[in-house]
Amino acid sequence: MRDLIVLFQKEWRENTRNFKILWIPLVFIFFGLSEPLTSYYLPQILNAVGNIPEEAMFAFPEFTPSQVLMATMGQYQFIGMLVLILGFMGTISRERKNGTGTLLYVRPISYVSYFLSKWKVVGIIALASVWLGLLTSWYYTGQLFGSIPATDFLAFAGTYSVWILFVVTIVLAMSAWLPTGGAASLSLVLVLFVQIVDSLLGTYWTISPWKVSTYATQWLTGSPDTSDFWWSIGVTILAIVALVVFGVSMSKRNASKTKV
Amino acid sequence: MEALLNDIPWGIIAPILIIQLILVVVALIDLVRVLHTNGPKWVWAIVIVLVNIMGPIVYFIFGRKNE
Repeated sequence: MRDLIVLFQKEWRENTRNFKILWIPLVFIFFGLSEPLTSYYLPQILNAVGNIPEEAMFAFPEFTPSQVLMATMGQYQFIGMLVLILGFMGTISRERKNGTGTLLYVRPISYVSYFLSKWKVVGIIALASVWLGLLTSWYYTGQLFGSIPATDFLAFAGTYSVWILFVVTIVLAMSAWLPTGGAASLSLVLVLFVQIVDSLLGTYWTISPWKVSTYATQWLTGSPDTSDFWWSIGVTILAIVALVVFGVSMSKRNASKTKV
Repeated sequence: MEALLNDIPWGIIAPILIIQLILVVVALIDLVRVLHTNGPKWVWAIVIVLVNIMGPIVYFIFGRKNE
């Protein structure tokens, strides 16, 4: 327990010094702001830069508030995931490469605390960033398009948080297993590519961690199928636990690969 | 042009500009403090200042050497 606290503090200090604690939330807030604003000012933006002929008549789409919030999540699903994966790809593998690992592994630390301290810090940064961004987006959508009930928003953001934790756990487990480059590519495949496959072929099944974000958006327009929803959440949480166990054993096995 | 500038609702746009400014400033502070970067520092300075929003992000992800 004691080494978990010490390692947590070490990890926290590292993320303060490399400014991750500042720039990752700012990026999410930026996209949370820009999505409602560009949707709202789309006609003016097109007028100013678009070179549209005078006589062209456009029926601009009328966005509903929930569509705007879904569009923000759409941005997070691509750019946000890229930032989380590339930002945290080296969390464990880089320590093996630059020698910090050697300083740690010679001490009698438990690898459970070692992995969990990183998982907690990265999880806190990722969740705080996503929540700050979604809250900004929710506020701006409310100002510009119309309000979304707080209960709908909380159900949406809460469900999406489970997906974010899943992504973070994938990145850390891969970082424990492979060198930084491999960890990044495999995480990108697991998060972005599998999601595309799941949305193309996924009509054949309803329970999957990659469907959690879709279920999250369904809270904004109604409510998802209860049994599918809870089964997917359950499977995702099981997958998170399995990935943590995998990550702990891999950081233990790879400890000997650290550069001295 | 002046009328166009006055039409822009600066109160609503301001937060976006402020976030961009903070990102640029933080990236530049980090660039000055850090010992080595991947590639020459002056190139990163140009990227951070000139590439809108993505410049600082790309610097933090690929430019920093964590040693």
